[in-house]
Amino acid sequence: MDVGLRSELQRHGIFVTTLEELYNWGRSNSLWPLGFGLACCAIEMIAASMARYDLARFGAEVFRPSPRQADLMIVAGTVTKKMAPQVVRLYNQMAEPKYVIAMGACAISGGPFKQGYNVLKGIDRYIPVDVHIPGCPPRPEALIHALMTLQQRIAAESLVGPNRPRHLRRDQPGEFPVPEYGSHDLIPPKNESIWRPPVIVRSG
Amino acid sequence: MLCLLDSDEVARLASVGLVLSHIGMDGGSTEYLTLGIFLVAACLFALMPLGLARLWAWRFAPTKPGPVKNSIYECGLESQGDAWRPFKSAYYLYAIVFLVFDVEIVFLLPFAVAFGGLPLGAVLAMMLFVLLVVEGLLWAWAKGVLRWS
Amino acid sequence: MESTETIRLRILEAVPGALLEVVPNGAPVGQPSLLVDPEHALAVARFLRDAPGLQFDYCSNVTGVDWLDREEEEIVRDRVAETGGEKKIEEPRKRVRPGYLEVVYHLYSMALRHGPLVLRLRTGNRTDRVRLPSLTPIWRSCEFQEREVYDLFGVVFEGHPDLRRILMWEGFQDYPMRKDYVEPDDYEYEPTPHDDVWEKARRHYPAPTVGSGGETSGNPGS
Repeated sequence: MDVGLRSELQRHGIFVTTLEELYNWGRSNSLWPLGFGLACCAIEMIAASMARYDLARFGAEVFRPSPRQADLMIVAGTVTKKMAPQVVRLYNQMAEPKYVIAMGACAISGGPFKQGYNVLKGIDRYIPVDVHIPGCPPRPEALIHALMTLQQRIAAESLVGPNRPRHLRRDQPGEFPVPEYGSHDLIPPKNESIWRPPVIVRSG
Repeated sequence: MLCLLDSDEVARLASVGLVLSHIGMDGGSTEYLTLGIFLVAACLFALMPLGLARLWAWRFAPTKPGPVKNSIYECGLESQGDAWRPFKSAYYLYAIVFLVFDVEIVFLLPFAVAFGGLPLGAVLAMMLFVLLVVEGLLWAWAKGVLRWS
Repeated sequence: MESTETIRLRILEAVPGALLEVVPNGAPVGQPSLLVDPEHALAVARFLRDAPGLQFDYCSNVTGVDWLDREEEEIVRDRVAETGGEKKIEEPRKRVRPGYLEVVYHLYSMALRHGPLVLRLRTGNRTDRVRLPSLTPIWRSCEFQEREVYDLFGVVFEGHPDLRRILMWEGFQDYPMRKDYVEPDDYEYEPTPHDDVWEKARRHYPAPTVGSGGETSGNPGS
C-alpha cells in the first residue's frame, strides 16, 4: 500500500496494516527469554529485567523456566565445554521461531578464557546467533540495545518470498547437532555448516 | 491437538444454538438459552486460536519436529529412564497425613454448617467418615509422625 | 602457633618412622611447609587434627603442583691425589631430578585460631606412581578439592570415598593442569597474540609467499 495514502488514512483515524506487519509487531514485542544464566553476565541480565532497567518495557520480562515457552535464548556468560551440549540441547528444544543473543565476550568468543582448556570459543560454533553483545560483562543498556536490535530484525522479516527467515523455510533445520564429549575435546569441535573460522591473510 | 473446526462442525454447533433458542422460546426457560450461548462461545474461544495457529502453520511456518526437540525436557540434560516409575512407599505417610489434616476440612466445614438440619442417616455417614480419618490420625500418631524432634 | 620445626618434632614423637622435612620458602612470606611421606600421611594428619595445642580442624585448601623433570647442575668438590700432594678440583656435574606431582594442603585451626600449616605430599613420579593417600577421612572438606586435583593433575587418591572427575566430563583423558598438557588445536584469530599464542597464530596463518609480503613480523591480520 502506498505510504502516502496510508498516512492520510491514519490521519482520519483509519489504521491500515498488513498481516506480516501485524505478525511481526506482535512477535517482536513479546520476546520471552529462556531463564538461564551461565556466569557473571547473568547478573547483568537479571539487573536488566529488574525495575531500574525494566526489560518489561519491551515485553521481554517473562523469563520462562521451560524452553517450550521461550522465544529467545540469552546466552549470558562463559560456555564451558562441559556445558555446551546442554545449551545446544536447550536451543533445540525451544519452539520455533527462536532467536539467540550471545551476551558478553565469553559467549561470543571465549573472552578472557579463550586460551583455556575447558571453555568453548563462542556459542556461535554450534547454534546460529542473531545478536552479539560485546562487553565483560555488558551493561544492562547493552542488553536492551541488543533486544531492540533483535526487535528491529524481527520487524523486518518477511513472511513469504526468498528472504524468509530460517524458521519459515522448510529446508532449513530446526535443530542442530548436539556435540558429544570426546576423550580430548568436544566432538565435533564446531558445526562446520553454520560456523567457519574467519579467513585472515597476514600482510607481512 | 485440536484441529480447526470444519464447516460441518460449525453447522452442527449453529444448529445446537438454534435448538437451544427453540427450547428457550417454547419452554419459557430462558436461563438455559444464555447457558447454551455461553457454552458455544466458550468452545469457540478455546478452539479458534488453536485453529488459527494450525492454519498459520499450514500456510507459513512449517513444523520442524526432531528427536532432540521432542525429547523430554530435563534442563538440557539427556533424560534418563522413564517418568512413570514407582515412588517410594514412604510417601504414603505424607498422603495419609495430608488427607487427615487438609482434605478432611473440606468435608467437615459443610457438615458443621448444615449440622442442624441433617437427617440421622447423613450424620451417621459423616461419623463413619470422621472415624476413618481419625483412624488414619491414630495410625500416624502411633508411627511417631507427630513428634517434633 | 608453634613453629613448623617444633610441630615436626612433635609429629616425630607421636608417629615414629615418619619421614618429615621442613621445606623453606624463599618468598617474602617465608611460610615454610612440611613435606610428609605418603606412607605416614594419614597418621600425621590425624595427629595434627587431634593433638592438643595444634587441633588443625579445618583444611581450607588442597591444590596440586606439577614438577617436571629438572636438570640440576651441581658443583662437585673433590680432592684428587696427585703427585706431590693433593689437589682440590671443582667440576660441574649435571643431574636429572625426576619430576613428580605434589599435593599441597593448607590447614587451619578454628578452635585455637591459628594457621596455616602447609602440608606437602609428593608422588613417586609423574606417570605410573601417582598414588597418594586421601586425607578426606580426616578432613571432609578435602573431598571435592582432591577430586579436582585428581581431575586436573591425575593424582590418584587412595581411600577417597568418591573419586571421579569433577570439572571435566567422564571419558576425558588428559590432565589439563599438567605442564605438558597439549590442548586440542583449534586456534582462532586474536587481535593481540603474544608468546605461545603468537606461535600458534604463526602456525595457523602462515606468512604470505615471498614477493607479496615482507618480513614475518607483525600481527596476523594487521
